[in-house]
Amino acid sequence: MKMNLRKITMGLGLSIALVACTKDEETIVVPVSAITVSNLAADTVTGLGVDGRPQSAGSTTYYSLVDNKVIASTDAASTKWDIAFSSTKILVNCGTSGPGIGGAFVFKGLFDDLKTIPVDSSFATDNSNAASYAIPLGSGRAWYTYDGLTTLVSPIAGRVLVIRTATGKFAKIEILNYYKGGVTLPATASVSDKLFKQRYYTFRYAYQPNGAKTF
Amino acid sequence: MKKTRYLLILLGLFQAVNLFAQTRFVKDTLESNGDSVVVTATRTERKLNNLTVPVTIINAKTIQQNGSLRLTDILKEQTGLNLTSGFGAGIQLQGLNPDYTIILINGEPLVGRTAGVLDLNRIALGNIKKIEIVKGPSSSLYGSEAMAGVINIITDASMGAPLTIGLRYGTYNTVDANLETKLQTKNFQYQGFINSYNTDGYSIRPNSNSRVRTPIERYSTTQQIKWDLSSQTNFVLNTRFTNEQIQNEIAVSNNGVTIYSIGKEAIQDLNVSATLNHRFSKTLKTSLRTYTTTYDAVQNLLTINGLPYRDVLNHNFKRIENQTDWDLSKNIQAVFGVGAVLEGVKSSRYDSEKLRKQNDIQYAFTQWEWKPTEQFTLIGGVRFDQNTQFASAYSPKLSMLYKLNSKHQFRFSVGQGFKAPDFRQLFLDFTNAAAGSYSVFGSAQAQQVIARLDALGQIGNLFPNYNLLKALKPEYSNGMHFTWDWKINPRSAVSLQLFRNDIKNLIESQQVGTYISGAQIYSYLNIGRAFTTGFELEGQHKFNANWSLSGGYQYLRTGDKDQIADIKSGTVYTKNSQGYSRLMKLNEYVGLPNTSRHKLQLKINYNSPKGYYLNVRAIYRSKWAVNNNNGNEVFDNGDVFASGYVAINSAAGKSFKNGISFQAGIDNLSNYIDAANLPNLPGRTFYTSIKYQLQKK
Repeated sequence: MKMNLRKITMGLGLSIALVACTKDEETIVVPVSAITVSNLAADTVTGLGVDGRPQSAGSTTYYSLVDNKVIASTDAASTKWDIAFSSTKILVNCGTSGPGIGGAFVFKGLFDDLKTIPVDSSFATDNSNAASYAIPLGSGRAWYTYDGLTTLVSPIAGRVLVIRTATGKFAKIEILNYYKGGVTLPATASVSDKLFKQRYYTFRYAYQPNGAKTF
Repeated sequence: MKKTRYLLILLGLFQAVNLFAQTRFVKDTLESNGDSVVVTATRTERKLNNLTVPVTIINAKTIQQNGSLRLTDILKEQTGLNLTSGFGAGIQLQGLNPDYTIILINGEPLVGRTAGVLDLNRIALGNIKKIEIVKGPSSSLYGSEAMAGVINIITDASMGAPLTIGLRYGTYNTVDANLETKLQTKNFQYQGFINSYNTDGYSIRPNSNSRVRTPIERYSTTQQIKWDLSSQTNFVLNTRFTNEQIQNEIAVSNNGVTIYSIGKEAIQDLNVSATLNHRFSKTLKTSLRTYTTTYDAVQNLLTINGLPYRDVLNHNFKRIENQTDWDLSKNIQAVFGVGAVLEGVKSSRYDSEKLRKQNDIQYAFTQWEWKPTEQFTLIGGVRFDQNTQFASAYSPKLSMLYKLNSKHQFRFSVGQGFKAPDFRQLFLDFTNAAAGSYSVFGSAQAQQVIARLDALGQIGNLFPNYNLLKALKPEYSNGMHFTWDWKINPRSAVSLQLFRNDIKNLIESQQVGTYISGAQIYSYLNIGRAFTTGFELEGQHKFNANWSLSGGYQYLRTGDKDQIADIKSGTVYTKNSQGYSRLMKLNEYVGLPNTSRHKLQLKINYNSPKGYYLNVRAIYRSKWAVNNNNGNEVFDNGDVFASGYVAINSAAGKSFKNGISFQAGIDNLSNYIDAANLPNLPGRTFYTSIKYQLQKK
């Protein structure tokens, strides 16, 4: 019941940060709690090109951390979304990516250990012209590693993406998996599975609606 | 050529009229190798029993009865040795990668390593007298690469049968033919050996709809001339030439799209050594050796799309060396050596395949052996290598032998080995256009190249370690080996060896910056620290005159010291099954990739007085980490492992008194296949062979 209530409140995006428990239990202050988003498709593969590379539509999936839902790409130029996914690329609503006042940086450590965003941390913004993104592209840099031998993408352990939302609130994200069903494929999986089951994000996040840098 | 060879074999068969077998003398005690003469351990002739360092000898009879064709076949059945795959078949010795074991033929090093690996399938075993394996750092005698140990292949220089012909046929149309001739006059000896090896290749790869064929044609020949100029002086000339053609016709199919590519590889390998030996007196002798070797490999790959790929490697190595052995007194013997090396590499992976990258080495070594009593021997040695391309290296070594009594012997050795940075680490200039345009620059010129790119406005970021780029230092290993040999009774013996190697200055590739596009730039730095440690247990037992059992076990632990420090300081994470990160615990750490904790081999051997023999060999290797897939840079329980496996090989044969022998064998009886991790292990294969030795009248 507690969990459900929490989810509902979060899902509605209400700024209720305190959840009271039944009277015989001690009252626990839970500022924000984590939500898990599963199987979020992000420019999934449609086939294999003659060059041996995966083909796709080149689409981007926009997501609102505030409302915990997918935002239509027609609203790409709005502040309705906070974070967007396109294969391994993750955008935040700022700079060349959107009109928001977003930003991000990569925190090394555990999701649960990041209780307060350090004062000296600085949020970067997206600049596609310089191929520079708040969440840097490429294997081994921000959130994943790509293994050329197995052609598998694995999220790096102990990496938290700290996000400033389109409207200047704060959230933290841990990418849990990149494959459909939330399970990384074995190295021996078929080429077809490796192609068509990738680009499905499973991640957990915590959003602090009150604007504070604490979770 | 081939036809004449087959004819000769037929002739041999006709000669074999008297196929009766005669009784031979067979002992029911262990055939002791103790009196075998070893040259690799001290660079002088010493009986195995008197050595201060651990040495394994594989003799010609074992090689022949096991049905081993290539060097890899016999090495993978030895304690502490594992075969590696990738860039050919290399050998891992006591947990250290193939880069760290020097491979010698008659004392001269082989060159032509790709990514540090020397493909040991190149070496035919037809005319081998024995293989000596020295475990532990031996740079004090051999210089670079002798960090884990030394494998010395000694060709047969004996004057036995004047003509030997062998032919073998096996699965995948594998044909191996040998011809060996020996001629001798009063002061002149000649040995010639020709080997031809052809195979259709095999396919054990998944995802290929047509059979992947990797046919190989290999010819190798060795010629040896020994000329006795006087009773005190002789001259030895050795040549070896290998020519290898490998063809790959690859068809990979993905969802209806098939990509064909045709690959052709041509490898030529030539070694020539000339040695002049002179004995001044009973206590003083010297030898002047010259050696030159060239390794030339060209790989062309044509695919239906994309540019053709061409990879060229030309490596040459010239050496001149003098070694003088001086017995100062009855119990002090000294060795002095001095030499110079000119080494050069041309490769399409460097800035220009036409430009030869050069390194010159001058070195000197000395070794002193002191034997105060029959029971105790102490050997100390040191070598100094001075190089033009990287820092110089000192390699000391101290070893001792103590014979407690006729049953127990103890050996202890401690030494430092090194491996010079290779040409790739110094001069690579490689940009992978297909995979994100990342670049790798060798450390010797990385700063220059990057500065030039920076001037063109192509560099985005430079990391702090960019400023640390400089001439690489050699990688160093400190090794310690303790051996206890126990002859329990005339029929049983065991030996226990404890070992530890501590390696520092490991050269690893590390990102030093990014292009403006974000693509990574890598170079090489001396950063790593690692260790390998464990024990080896070997034993043999003879049940009776005919049956014997031998075996060996290695327990191995390895680790990257920096990673262990990181794990202890709580900065290494791993993921649970849900994908949540958590701190990694030290007991989840499995050590270096491609190392197995357990390796066991057992051999049952039967030899009859009538010339029949049979052997069954089982080799077990426990799982090893191959891929990092749980998002940290260290190998732990959650990563991808190749499963442990057992391979069983068996051979049987009979040799007749008139010089004819037959053999038949099965390799990989249980048909174990792991295409991804053991590409060098085909499924079950069969072979049969015939050999004829012309008997001396």
